[in-house]
Amino acid sequence: MAARRTRGMTGPDVNRSTVARAASIAEQLRYECSILLELYREKESFTADVLVDGRLVSVAPPSSQLDTRDKLWRLHSALMQCRSLLERAIAREEEELGGGKKGEYETQRKRVKDRLSYLLICTGELLKTAGGAALLTPSLEGLELDGPTALFELKLWVYRIFKEVDYWTITTLEALPSVIAKERVRTSRGRTTRSTRR
Amino acid sequence: MPHLSVNPSSKPNCSTVWLISVLLGLLAVHTNANDVLTVPQQVSLSTNMDSQQLSISWLAGVATTFDLMILRTELNETVFYETVSVMVSQLSGRHEWNWTSVEPLQCTSLSIKICSREGQSTSEWSNTEILQGSDLPSEEEWQMFPLDRVVPVGANTTFCCIVKEGKQFGTINYGNKVMNTTRLSRRSYATTVFNQGLSGPSGTNVVCYNSFKEIVIGAVVFVGYPPLPSDFVCETHDLTSAVCLWNERRNTNLYKKTRGTRYTLNNRTFNLSWSRNPQKERRVDHWEGNWTLLVVNLLGQYSLTDSAELSHRVTPVAPENLTFVAHATNATVLWQWKYDGYSSLALFCQVELTSQGYKTNHTFSGVGLRAVVLPDLYPYEDYSVQVRCGAQQNFWKWGSWSETMSFTSSSIVPEAPDMWVWMNKDYTGQVIWKLLTRRQSRGLMTGYEVTLWSPGESLQHTEILPADTFAVPVNLTQMATASSDNMVMATVTAKNTEGVSLPASVLIPLRLTDADPRAVSQAVYTDSGFSLFWQSDVNTTCAYVVEWHNTSCKWNCPVDWIKVAPGNTNVSIESANFQPGVRYNFSLYSISSEAPELLQRWQGYMQELVPSSPVLSLLTTQEDSDILLTWGHIPLVSRRGFLLGYNIYISSGSQLTLLANLSDPGSRSYTVKGLSEGSYKFTVKAYTSAGEDTGATASIMLEPFTDWLILEILASLGVTALFLVIVTFLCYKKRKWVKKAFYPDIPEPKLPGDWSRSQAPLDVKPPHHSLVHMVERPEWDSSKEALVVIPEEDEDEDGQGIGDELVDTDEPTSLRYYNHVVDERPIRPRYPDSSDSSASSLDSARTDVTYTGIQTSGSSFVFQLDPQGSSEGHQPQADPSFCAGGGGGYRPQMQSRVPSDDTGPASPNPFPESQAASGYKPQSSWQMDSPVDDGEGRSRASSLGSPTSIASTQFLLPDGEDDTEEIRQHSSSAATWLTNLLSSTKP
Repeated sequence: MAARRTRGMTGPDVNRSTVARAASIAEQLRYECSILLELYREKESFTADVLVDGRLVSVAPPSSQLDTRDKLWRLHSALMQCRSLLERAIAREEEELGGGKKGEYETQRKRVKDRLSYLLICTGELLKTAGGAALLTPSLEGLELDGPTALFELKLWVYRIFKEVDYWTITTLEALPSVIAKERVRTSRGRTTRSTRR
Repeated sequence: MPHLSVNPSSKPNCSTVWLISVLLGLLAVHTNANDVLTVPQQVSLSTNMDSQQLSISWLAGVATTFDLMILRTELNETVFYETVSVMVSQLSGRHEWNWTSVEPLQCTSLSIKICSREGQSTSEWSNTEILQGSDLPSEEEWQMFPLDRVVPVGANTTFCCIVKEGKQFGTINYGNKVMNTTRLSRRSYATTVFNQGLSGPSGTNVVCYNSFKEIVIGAVVFVGYPPLPSDFVCETHDLTSAVCLWNERRNTNLYKKTRGTRYTLNNRTFNLSWSRNPQKERRVDHWEGNWTLLVVNLLGQYSLTDSAELSHRVTPVAPENLTFVAHATNATVLWQWKYDGYSSLALFCQVELTSQGYKTNHTFSGVGLRAVVLPDLYPYEDYSVQVRCGAQQNFWKWGSWSETMSFTSSSIVPEAPDMWVWMNKDYTGQVIWKLLTRRQSRGLMTGYEVTLWSPGESLQHTEILPADTFAVPVNLTQMATASSDNMVMATVTAKNTEGVSLPASVLIPLRLTDADPRAVSQAVYTDSGFSLFWQSDVNTTCAYVVEWHNTSCKWNCPVDWIKVAPGNTNVSIESANFQPGVRYNFSLYSISSEAPELLQRWQGYMQELVPSSPVLSLLTTQEDSDILLTWGHIPLVSRRGFLLGYNIYISSGSQLTLLANLSDPGSRSYTVKGLSEGSYKFTVKAYTSAGEDTGATASIMLEPFTDWLILEILASLGVTALFLVIVTFLCYKKRKWVKKAFYPDIPEPKLPGDWSRSQAPLDVKPPHHSLVHMVERPEWDSSKEALVVIPEEDEDEDGQGIGDELVDTDEPTSLRYYNHVVDERPIRPRYPDSSDSSASSLDSARTDVTYTGIQTSGSSFVFQLDPQGSSEGHQPQADPSFCAGGGGGYRPQMQSRVPSDDTGPASPNPFPESQAASGYKPQSSWQMDSPVDDGEGRSRASSLGSPTSIASTQFLLPDGEDDTEEIRQHSSSAATWLTNLLSSTKP
């Protein structure tokens, strides 16, 4: 498995550059998420935090036993769920609460969605490098995409989705360096093993 | 239901019994009525949660009045308790009554009970019916009511928050505002928002916080307006369909499908997407003639109608595909119509023509109009056009403007330039013209051509200049000398790609005159510029030219001009170049077939300012006891206005006090009178109509009048002189008495032997060699000596006056002493000469020994020379120290000592080195006291005993003189002078 994954790599440099690009996008997304949350809190007069019961995104729990591909898979899956939720939230918001002229909030919301898509492309590339194209489509089954019907609960749901995007962006940002480190170790071990066998 | 029973078969004789029975019956009826007041039965409740309305129905027979009581079940608080009148519903046969709750009905459980009322009597209460709220223990989660409410602006809404079982309530916020709450039940809290304002597009949140200030539940309320449409009309563009238009006079603030506005036009419902444009429109395929618009939202509805024939509501569409055919002065604009039906439609069409920012409208008419000709265009001009049309019959409104089309008219030869000539005082100058504007150039300019030619001669000079040139310098000196004509014609033509313009010409006279015959008037600037007026000039056949330039400019000035038609006698000159505080010259010229003739001149300021600099060269001069202020002019550029005069100020400290106002701007001086002695500071400020300048300041110290002082001195001297004259005169008259009193005759000495001699003074003529008479002073250094040297050849000259001197010095009590001065220069007397002889002695160029008699009484005198002065090169000095030298007062001659080795006759120097002054003795005691130790000298000294004519120049003072001695010397000198005077007056 490790050998197969190693063969899947196009090279440490390319991998590092992809990770760096992903980290850069995640960093930008984190910044834009914070602005979006601030705008939303201001728009909805949320002076306190929302009492949240559970998470909207469901992925396997983090574990140190997970290898690089599984970690990437977990991150990629979470981000994909975030994007689906975000798209749905935007649609529901427009449908139920939109109207009037568009402002800075709507612009920032679209910016976050687009940035999240870019990040997903990067993590997808990393995942493809790590595990192959067959594993690149995480399932969205079980994801609650409809949201509540009551408008205030819908607003809270949208807010929670924004928070999820923020959370998983930060998680991705924090996880990417360790992915690189492990990948380096793994690559060097693979090379050592091969040279030893020779 | 009690009912009355009447038995019709009762006997009449039993009337009393019957009456009693009736009364009893009535009483029984009344009593039964109280007993049977129906208790409401089968009370049932139904609710409308959105409207918070509670419908209560019950059965209560025929009763119509009831008491209703509504309580909050948990806290048993009365919400409603009133007596109401309720009729039986014909449909249900029940009593029905509706009640609208202030709070949402879900907030808490309500208990309802009813009793019938008849006057003051009431039935028993019905069974209590409970409307269960959402705060039942079975519904343990957080809840809030009402949800997603839409209310009009200004409404009051009550919200309630039901706390989750086991949790603590915190607050309710309406937007950002923390609200006051009331407790409705164990878990339910309510707040009321009064006079609600517009919410945001996504509504206003009503948020319930727990005790940890966490958002736990909330609701959204949308506050907006009912629709308010107006100006509903329907029209047609294509002559078939209808387009109905209306305006939304107010934004409802309610959006989306659930809360937005719905429209119905002639029973066809539709929605419109949100747009900022308040004008809405809806197209209908066919013209229906009558139209009804119904506009509805959750807060209300509004209906509008319109009715019209199609032909009265034609609004043409915008013309399409505009094209043009342009010429120099006109252009044809063509377009197309979108609909064929327009070909038979009588139209008005409006063409808006824009050029250089100015718009003009041209209106045309015709059936199916699709081309118009635009006249009166400027050549080589950029134009843009747009077209719109309206129905000629039953005009409704203009259609939309077409898209703008641009074109440029064709070029032709340019206009003749507007030219003028500026000539300096000599034959130099410049031909100037105004650059043609784009409109005047009428094509792409290529340049200008300037020609100077003499009409009578064949002299011609032509110069071709670029298109951006507007002036060329000329020098007519050569033409003036070579031509016999009196004038030169300057011609300017403009050239563009189409050709050459007509020429513009000005005749320049070659006989220049410096004289400026015209007086200068003052031009006044008004809102319309400088208004100039003049008398009509019959010789002006072509035009007047008004030329102006900055007055301070004298040579090749940047002149501007304007041409005025010959019939006019006034013009207002306005220019963007006019500057405040600058004087301009305006000159009016008459233009005819001859050279321009200067008719009139003006000067004026666009706006007068205060002078920018004060007067130059302010000077103060004391004249007697007055002070004369003088100043120079202010340069023209600094005046910045017409000077009206000067204000003279005197400054005391920092304050200026006006002394005088000189209204003559030509004033250059002012005399300040009546000032006492002291220091003064004066400020002169020139002023224009705009005010004063900053002023020039000068100071002066006024001193006493010196002429009077001089007069006083002269008067004193005159009085003194007069006094002296009188004294002299009196002395002269009484000279005998004076002589007797002051100069008695010296008794003739009585000598043994043959020593008798005449009383006449002895004229002693020294030998040819210099005679040195040494008088020794005992206490002095022997090296110091008094030296008297008289060359022999001078003795004759000196001896002339000696006799006179001797006459005066024969007084025994008044002795005469002489010092001697040796000088190579002619000796000038320091005091009035006492005799002619002394004067002659002074003229000697050789070494002399002279004596000045010093008269005193009964004292010996010292004849002393300054040894220092004598030892330095033997150059006698007319030094006062030398003249006043000597120490210790007079030294009797007998006390002096003369070294014998310095007294030789061969000594060429009359003042031997270190020669000390020796005393001199009056001739009465001369022989006895003379300490001469040299035989030869003694023999000669004996002859010196007689009075000798000696030139007298200075007094001889002893060494170490003090003030007392000096005063005494002076008094002695005065006495000597007086003696000489009296002597000279002897007959």
